[in-house]
Amino acid sequence: MLAFAFYPSARAVYLSFFTSQGKFTLDNYKELLYFNLYGTIENTVILTVGALMLQLLLALGVSSILVREFRGKRVLSTISIIPMGVATVVAAITFSFIFQTSGGYANTLLHYFGLSGINWYFNRYLSLFIVMIADSWKNTPIMTLIILAGMYSIPRDLYYAAALDGAGPIKRFVHITLPNLKKFIAIALIIRGVSEFNIFALPLILIGYSPSILTTLAYSLYSTTTENLASAAAVVILVFVSVLIALNIKLGGKR
Amino acid sequence: MRNLLVYVGAIIFTLYFLIPLYILVLIAFSPAKFTLESLYPPLYFKGFTLSNLVYAFTQYNFIHPFLKSFFVASLVGIIAILLGIPAGYGLSKLPGKLAYAFIVVLLITNMVPGLVVAIPISVEFIKLHLFDSIPGLALVQELVTLPLAVFILQGTFSAVPKEVEYQARIDGASTLSYLSNVLIPVALPGIVAAFLISWMFSWDEFTYAVLLSPIHPTLPVEIYFNIERGNELAAVAFSLVFTIPVIVLTLILQKYLKGEYLAGGVKY
Repeated sequence: MLAFAFYPSARAVYLSFFTSQGKFTLDNYKELLYFNLYGTIENTVILTVGALMLQLLLALGVSSILVREFRGKRVLSTISIIPMGVATVVAAITFSFIFQTSGGYANTLLHYFGLSGINWYFNRYLSLFIVMIADSWKNTPIMTLIILAGMYSIPRDLYYAAALDGAGPIKRFVHITLPNLKKFIAIALIIRGVSEFNIFALPLILIGYSPSILTTLAYSLYSTTTENLASAAAVVILVFVSVLIALNIKLGGKR
Repeated sequence: MRNLLVYVGAIIFTLYFLIPLYILVLIAFSPAKFTLESLYPPLYFKGFTLSNLVYAFTQYNFIHPFLKSFFVASLVGIIAILLGIPAGYGLSKLPGKLAYAFIVVLLITNMVPGLVVAIPISVEFIKLHLFDSIPGLALVQELVTLPLAVFILQGTFSAVPKEVEYQARIDGASTLSYLSNVLIPVALPGIVAAFLISWMFSWDEFTYAVLLSPIHPTLPVEIYFNIERGNELAAVAFSLVFTIPVIVLTLILQKYLKGEYLAGGVKY
């Protein structure tokens, strides 16, 4: 299985340094620069970090509710898992109906309040933000599962003791919940982080090729130009992911 | 007061999780003039129709992509279990440090970007006649699911007390009969979780599917193609049938989808 993953990666690196006639070249990478490589990398990083933060916040919110006892808890925990069963493509389509360049459901809502509609894709940050929202909707459940498991592992007594000492809810969250959740947050970020970086179907459907991110760039090159150029773009992704992985291992080793 | 806050939060999150699905259902069952054709579509049902669904299923080929998705996902789940159980058992027997190193390597495999591997694999698959085939796609998706399955199973097996195995050995069980008669029944919830997560991953998978199986696409890819061609109603209708069974499955098997399995490597 390792061969299955590493051989093709090596082959992609190899392909990226050759022309389609099989001559060694660095031109593929030079050519990438014409496709706004730096902007693309920037977009990808913004998207990855933003989406991870959003998911983490939502997951912390949902799980701090679910960890309590209240009527309707089962209902909420059932509902909170539903997006997991919804395919990414389906989520992307649904959100594309909600956020449109003109009209759409989000704008209907603004309309009800007497506001005028917004073009949800009028600049790249807003477009990326829409992708973040859609992605967070889809992936909050898996984050929640992990964070919730972590929250259950924290002894309740700690909270009672802190409450007796006069710590308010925010203080308790910062000083008890967060430090005890560190490992779980790390696992959640590792599991989600790399797949976040490889996010593909959502942006492809929601925003197409502009603003471009690394995966959609590689795909558009794959379907329009040579394999070699697409491989070069893929190698850029590989480099970034490798850095992420190295970071993960380093952090993981400290645990 | 405190409870009020919990309920307000619960309601906000409920809305957040359900509204997109509501919109999907709204579009699928409303006449197009109230949904896709109006600039500011109403947020409630103004009319009810089944004609969108009828139209989509009679005019477009839906059953083949559906079956392809189903077979690929099932194959992915089965392979993940068949290979994952021995691998997970082996890892759970290794000393902690060594097992940890193995798991890190496995997870790295899991992290290799789909696009990076898919492009060279597509070249090889054309040579091997695996391109566009069910086993081919399943094998490639295994790249992502198998490490995760092994990770989950390793965690589950490690949680089984060593004394259970010693006792079984004393009673004369071989490794194979220990696995099939003791360990697998005991660890069944974890195994189900590993199967489910693999199955659901494959059902949802898009990157490999669009690159390696574009001619006879799986359902997500078919939905994407329909969107590209502007058949949005068909895409919505397909999405609905694509989603409902999995949501039902998720809800039924909810108890197996636990964070503990995903956090398998975390040492408490």
